[in-house]
Amino acid sequence: MRKKLEGNGLWESSRMMLPEHKVAINELEKALRQRTRVELDEQEWEHVARSVTDSLQQRQPITLRLFHPLEELTVIGIVDRIDQLKGRFMVDGEWFLIGDIEGAAIQDIEDNGLF
Amino acid sequence: MSLNRVIMLADCQSFYASVEKAEHPEYHDSPLVVAGDPERRSGIILAACPIAKKFGVTTAERLGDSLAKCPDLVIIKPRMQLYIDISMQITQIYQAYTDLVEPYSIDEQFLDVTGSIHLYGSPEKLAHHIQARISSDLGIYTRFGIAENKMLAKTACDNYAKKNESGIFELTKEMLPDTLWTLPIAKMFMVGSRMTRHFQFMGLETIGKLAATPLEKLKLMLRRKLGKNSDINAELYWNIANGIDNSPVAPGTHEIAPKAVGHMMTLPRDYETLAEIKVVLLELTELVCQRCRGKGYMGHVVSVGLMGANYDRPSGFSRQMKMDDPTNITNQVYCAAVRLVLTHWDGYPVRKVGVSLTQFSQDDEYQLSLFDTKREKTMALEKATDALKKKYGDAVILRAVSNTPAGQALHRSEKIGGHYK
Repeated sequence: MRKKLEGNGLWESSRMMLPEHKVAINELEKALRQRTRVELDEQEWEHVARSVTDSLQQRQPITLRLFHPLEELTVIGIVDRIDQLKGRFMVDGEWFLIGDIEGAAIQDIEDNGLF
Repeated sequence: MSLNRVIMLADCQSFYASVEKAEHPEYHDSPLVVAGDPERRSGIILAACPIAKKFGVTTAERLGDSLAKCPDLVIIKPRMQLYIDISMQITQIYQAYTDLVEPYSIDEQFLDVTGSIHLYGSPEKLAHHIQARISSDLGIYTRFGIAENKMLAKTACDNYAKKNESGIFELTKEMLPDTLWTLPIAKMFMVGSRMTRHFQFMGLETIGKLAATPLEKLKLMLRRKLGKNSDINAELYWNIANGIDNSPVAPGTHEIAPKAVGHMMTLPRDYETLAEIKVVLLELTELVCQRCRGKGYMGHVVSVGLMGANYDRPSGFSRQMKMDDPTNITNQVYCAAVRLVLTHWDGYPVRKVGVSLTQFSQDDEYQLSLFDTKREKTMALEKATDALKKKYGDAVILRAVSNTPAGQALHRSEKIGGHYK
């Protein structure tokens, strides 16, 4: 009962919605959230490749933005392995696809206040 | 810039009738209604166009009565799927102006346009702009209530925008003494005929009088009238009367996981035997379980309601029971539902049957049973039938009992919300 006075409770308890209409609304919402892949140009790819290699060779923490169909996905860590053949790389024991990379930045060690 | 939000409630005039008029330009100047089942004289009016309303035709009256008032009435069968589609198109138009759009019903939607106003000058100009666009794109006339919260926007729309020339009305808190508070209590949102009587009895004939009553006093008054548990309602009515509402315009509101999934239907004739009741019970259980499976839920508690056919001698029951384990397998839920009917049904004819499932858990983990060895097989079967139904419609595969005279599944699959698709 109390819920009527909080949040959106009044409107959620008083509305008349056909179940079929609700399904349609939720599908539209989902479609709106669908993300499209970002195409990187050559220079951007070069930057990504250099950052990933730096991270692998010098064990520098890296921040990578990856494609995800519904949400923003960021991977932070040190690249442990690169598997060119299968087009994937490993951060913290987990494999990710190289093709999913949308951006990369090496984290400056001085930045984190430890040094 | 003002600190207040700018909320709009946009409402479509005689929605179903307007959609049909846009689809049938030849009836542009004729009185038109959308009616339940035109073949039956007893079908009711779902929507009447403004011309039909001038003849005195009202929503929810019987078709026979409307024809008596207006013999030239154009009667159209409802097409619910079309109305849903048009409603979604309207939602998408609103979404061009703000991402905060919350559909409240098929023809009413809330818009929070606080962040878009600076592009259009004033809320009224924006409302005009949207109104003109929907009219030219879809041929539907929309009315806009504008205010700082949803409650006042709804009030502005229902009581003023629907009646004035422009179809747009902005209601500010400062205007309340001359507007909302002068209206009779029956006009208040959430107040129906029963509460109107109660409030009139308490001497609160206008919304203003209710608003001016101190909340504590109102709580006491309602408690005396309606019992101990009316404090929350008292606060609710008091907030409404004072135009207080801080609820957000929540676009994701329809994604919230439901607490219960249920289906109910009024039977075309009274069912008198257990065998007949069991047929619809199975069909409803199938629908409920199908929806649960689609959402990935299993229910632990099943409830069944039967309503007797005789209005003068109300009979029937509504009972629930907890099953051994959560499930969404039709036959398991059906067995429990039948047990409820066997225990509680008094044997009188039945006109309404309902089944629902509650207390959900996710269906990716379930209790293995020593005795039910066929579970995996049943689940695979239901998965297949669900997929078929999703692709080709609910009527594509039916249980054999649905082909008996008591079966309603085929009939039901042609409808949305009890009306033709």
